[in-house]
Amino acid sequence: MKRSYRGVILLCFVLLLNIICTQQAVNSYFYERYERVVLFAVLNIVLFPIAIWIYFRERDVK
Amino acid sequence: MGEDIKNNKKADINRTKHNNDKIPFEENNYTHNIRKAGERRLDRRGFMKTMVGAAGIFAVSTLPWGALAVKELSGLGSKSHPKQKLANANDLKIGEAIEFAYPGEHDAALLVRLGENEYKAYQNACTHLKCPVFWSKEEGRLVCPCHHGFFDVKTGKPTAGPPQRPLPEVVLSKEQGAIYATGVKRYET
Ligand code: FES
Repeated sequence: MKRSYRGVILLCFVLLLNIICTQQAVNSYFYERYERVVLFAVLNIVLFPIAIWIYFRERDVK
Repeated sequence: MGEDIKNNKKADINRTKHNNDKIPFEENNYTHNIRKAGERRLDRRGFMKTMVGAAGIFAVSTLPWGALAVKELSGLGSKSHPKQKLANANDLKIGEAIEFAYPGEHDAALLVRLGENEYKAYQNACTHLKCPVFWSKEEGRLVCPCHHGFFDVKTGKPTAGPPQRPLPEVVLSKEQGAIYATGVKRYET
């Protein structure tokens, strides 16, 4: 059986973006650049529905 | 587990009868082709679920930071701290340091007298993992004992070890022979 690993790779990429956004948000907080904190926090939250969407799209791909 | 496998075998046989083993039947939560314990936890779909869960955790974990930032933004943009007397200028000998708390009572800070008229003060929570940084007179620099972080006493910049960010400097003023703290400098990016 040949399976598609596109979903796995995409989700790995989403997780990488998550890590980057978290790191950026926390660091900007300590640098007191609060607009950036809000920006990255929102990005991080938006990534979650994207991950769910990718999951449902790729779940049944054979 | 052995029980399960037996049951699956039975199910397999039943299905073989019905489908003649040719039609892959549609089922989301399939169990008929499990061969070993915990197999479902290792497969592609299970892995993708884990990744989605991790994305959710990351999303939730940035919420407090976002909330704090929004609070900071909506509050008065310029933080002004009250003036606080730290010491009489002559009580502190050259090369000595004292600890104080500024601006809050839990914000430990360090005042160092470097020369006749040269005073420097920093909030002394290490910018690596918040250990208290102390002043080493022998070495002439600020030292964090936890992971051997070092800071330049003139600028607060890290010179060695794990810390990457400078210590926040406390702004000082000298009036009538006493040293006052008047504010905290922003991090320079
Ligand atoms: S906490 Fe200061 S070096 Fe790690």
